[in-house]
Amino acid sequence: MYKYKASKDTGSKSWVIQRITGLALVVLMIGHYILMHYHPDSGHTYQAVLARMQFSWYRIIDLTFIVLGMYHGLNGIWNIFRDYKLKPWMKLSILSALIIFGIAFTAWGFNIVFSIPYVN
Amino acid sequence: MESGTGTKSTYKNIKIFDQKNWISENLSYKKDDGSWAWILHRITGIALIAYLFLHIYSLSPLTQGEAAFNAKMATFASPLFMVIEWLLFAFVLFHSLNGIRIVIVDWADGAKYHKQLYRLSWVLGIILFLAMGALMFSHELKKLF
Repeated sequence: MYKYKASKDTGSKSWVIQRITGLALVVLMIGHYILMHYHPDSGHTYQAVLARMQFSWYRIIDLTFIVLGMYHGLNGIWNIFRDYKLKPWMKLSILSALIIFGIAFTAWGFNIVFSIPYVN
Repeated sequence: MESGTGTKSTYKNIKIFDQKNWISENLSYKKDDGSWAWILHRITGIALIAYLFLHIYSLSPLTQGEAAFNAKMATFASPLFMVIEWLLFAFVLFHSLNGIRIVIVDWADGAKYHKQLYRLSWVLGIILFLAMGALMFSHELKKLF
């Protein structure tokens, strides 16, 4: 079943998405590094994180960052595996493992962001 | 279609990849700027996704409140970890700048200039790396003087 699906899929959509997410991540990552390091406390204290997380748009950016980073990274790893001749059961296992790890860590990241309280 | 005659002698001149010695075969393969860009893009990419997993794990004490988080962060605020974070930025920069290069190469006429773009990404990367170093360590340096 999987074998036939793979032979039809040229990967062109995945290729475009990889580029779009990549460019978005460049912008997010530069912003992230500057924001986290312009002051030594900005990235390393609970108070600073709490203050930032009072803005919902900041939470939305963080959640977007996790999803884009996870997708782009794991799709990249999958692209590396696709360079090698793998048996269909190996492809299926690797892809399943990547998807499970991706979803699990994304959920963990979401849980962390949502656990930070809104303080009035 | 191929005529069939003379293919044997043609194939004799082609160097075949020696599967058993794949490490030395890969190492001895002649590499130009594009090959290095490809190799380094993979290495930095793998490192960055590994770091993303680590990053989510290391921020997980946020769910346990202020004391747990600050205790964990005390480790990461040390000068050694700041240097590691700075070096990580080198990986981020290479992957970002080479990623932009890949987009330019794939799209439009970038393939004509891919070696120049590679060198340009190194120049820009080193400048931005030093700029980030100045941003990250300016507060530490001010404390010293």
